[in-house]
Amino acid sequence: MTEASRLAHRPALAHLFWWFMFAQGGVIAAVLIPVHILVQGILGPLGWVNVVDRHYDTWINLLGNPIVKLYLLVLIAVPFFHFAHRVRYLLVDLGVPAARSTPAQVVFYGAAVLVTLITIWVLLTTAPISLG
Amino acid sequence: MSLPAGEARPALSNTYRWSMPANWWIRKRHYFFYMLREFTALPLAVWLLWFLVEIKRAGDGPAAYAPHGSALFVAFSVVCLAFALYHSITFLSLAGVIIHVKFLGRPVPSRLIVLSQFGLWAAASILIGFALIWFGR
Amino acid sequence: MAKRITIQATRFDPEKDDKPRLQSYDIPFSDDSMVVLDALNYIKAHVDGTLSYRWSCRMGICGSCGMMINGTPKLTCSAFLRDYWPQPVVVQPLNNFPIVRDLVIDMEDFMDKLKSVKPWIVRKQEIPLGAGEHVQTTSQIDDFKQFSQCINCMLCYAACPVYGLNNEFLGPAAIALARRYNLDSRDQGSKDRLPVIAESEGVWECSFVGECSVVCPKGVDPAKAIQQTKLDTTMRFVLPYGNRE
Repeated sequence: MTEASRLAHRPALAHLFWWFMFAQGGVIAAVLIPVHILVQGILGPLGWVNVVDRHYDTWINLLGNPIVKLYLLVLIAVPFFHFAHRVRYLLVDLGVPAARSTPAQVVFYGAAVLVTLITIWVLLTTAPISLG
Repeated sequence: MSLPAGEARPALSNTYRWSMPANWWIRKRHYFFYMLREFTALPLAVWLLWFLVEIKRAGDGPAAYAPHGSALFVAFSVVCLAFALYHSITFLSLAGVIIHVKFLGRPVPSRLIVLSQFGLWAAASILIGFALIWFGR
Repeated sequence: MAKRITIQATRFDPEKDDKPRLQSYDIPFSDDSMVVLDALNYIKAHVDGTLSYRWSCRMGICGSCGMMINGTPKLTCSAFLRDYWPQPVVVQPLNNFPIVRDLVIDMEDFMDKLKSVKPWIVRKQEIPLGAGEHVQTTSQIDDFKQFSQCINCMLCYAACPVYGLNNEFLGPAAIALARRYNLDSRDQGSKDRLPVIAESEGVWECSFVGECSVVCPKGVDPAKAIQQTKLDTTMRFVLPYGNRE
C-alpha cells in the first residue's frame, strides 16, 4: 500500500454498483437460463417437446404481451452485467492489468448497457404491444 | 524494537520482487475450476445473443421465420447447458456463504439458505419450462 | 536402516544472489511426529547454520512460520514430514511477497493493510469506568468469533491470486479482521473502516476464488467474511436507513 493510497481512501461507489449488478445478473442467469437452453436449445430442436418459439402465431402473440417483454428484458439484459464483470476480471486473472482501468470499465459495462438498449429496441419493435 | 510514530522503516536492500507466473491457474485444481467458473459467462452470453436474434427474426414475418434446429445448434446448446449448470450450481452454492440472516435471533444455517436458492431455481425452471411447452402445444 | 528425507529449501542472499535457488538437504527422519519446522531447525543446527526462516511457538498459534510447502502455503510447524516422505519436501517463502532472504519475506505491506482497517475496538463514546465492563452475550460473541481466530499468518495472502496479481488489494485477513470488529457489539467503528473496506482496492477486487479459506489454518473463512462485507456494504448504500452493522 503506497503512502498516497493510504491517504486517499474513499468508498468506490462505482465498484459497489457494478458488483451489485453482477450479483443481480448472476442470480437471474443462474435461475432462469438453464431451462431456456434445455427446452429451446435442445428438446425443442430435437422435436422431443413442442416449444412455443417454433409455433409462429403463438410465439408472435406472446411477444406482444408486455409482461413477456419485461420478462425477456430481465432474462437477456440483466445477466450481461454479470457477464461484463466476470469477463473483465477474467482478463485481469489472465494477466491483463489494463482490464482494471476506467476505460476498460467503460468498455465492458458500456457493452452491457448497449445490449440492454438493443434488447429494449428489439422487444419494442418485433411485435406491437397487445394484451391478447 | 519499534520506531517513533510517523517514521518509515529503512528500505530493505535488494529484496527479490515476486511476480505471478502466467500459468498460475493451471498449477492447482482449485484455481482451474475457478477460472472455468468465470469462463461460463462467455457461452451463456453467446446463447442469450442467439435468443435475441431469434426474437428479432420473429418480427420479420412468418415466411422468413426458421428458428435454428440443426444438429450443430443442438450440440452448441448442450455445451452451453453444461456451462450454465456449472454456473448455476457454483453461484447458488456460494449464495449460502454470502447471505447471512437471523431468524428469531439465531443465524439461519447456510445449508438452509443454499437449499432455498436451489429451491427457487427448481421452481422457476419448472414454471418456465411448463410455460414454454404449454404455449407450444 | 534409519529413514532419511530430502528438504529442498529456497536460498537467497540479497548481497550475493540475483535470484533465489533451491538447495537440497538430506536429513534423518528419526521421528514420525517430525514436522517441516523440525527439519528446518535440524538443518540450521547441524547442517547449514546460514539458513534463515521465521518461527516461534511451533504449535500453530503465533502465525510466524508460514511458508510454501510443495506449492501450498502452510504453517511449517503443522506440516508433518510423514505426509510427504519419501518424496522430497520443497520449502519456499510465501508466494506474493518480496523475498528478504532465504525463506523470509517482507511483510510490511500486510502490516500496513492490517493497521489501515483499525483492528481494535473503536468507540465513539467510552462507557464510564463506574459502569463496569461491556457485557456480551454468547450469541453476540458468536457473531464475530470465527473471524477473531485469525493469527495473522498470511497464508491467505500467499494463496490469493488476486493479491498476487495486484499488490494493492487489501487482502483476506485484513478484511476478515475488519469484519470481526464491525460485528463486535462493543465496537462503534464501522463507519471509520468503511473508506478502506469499500475503496476500489478493497473488497471489490475479490473475485471469490476461495483459496484463502482453503489454506487458513484457523478456519477463519476470510472468503465468507469478504463476500458478506460486499453485501453489507452494498446494502448500506442501497438501504440508507436499514442494515447498519
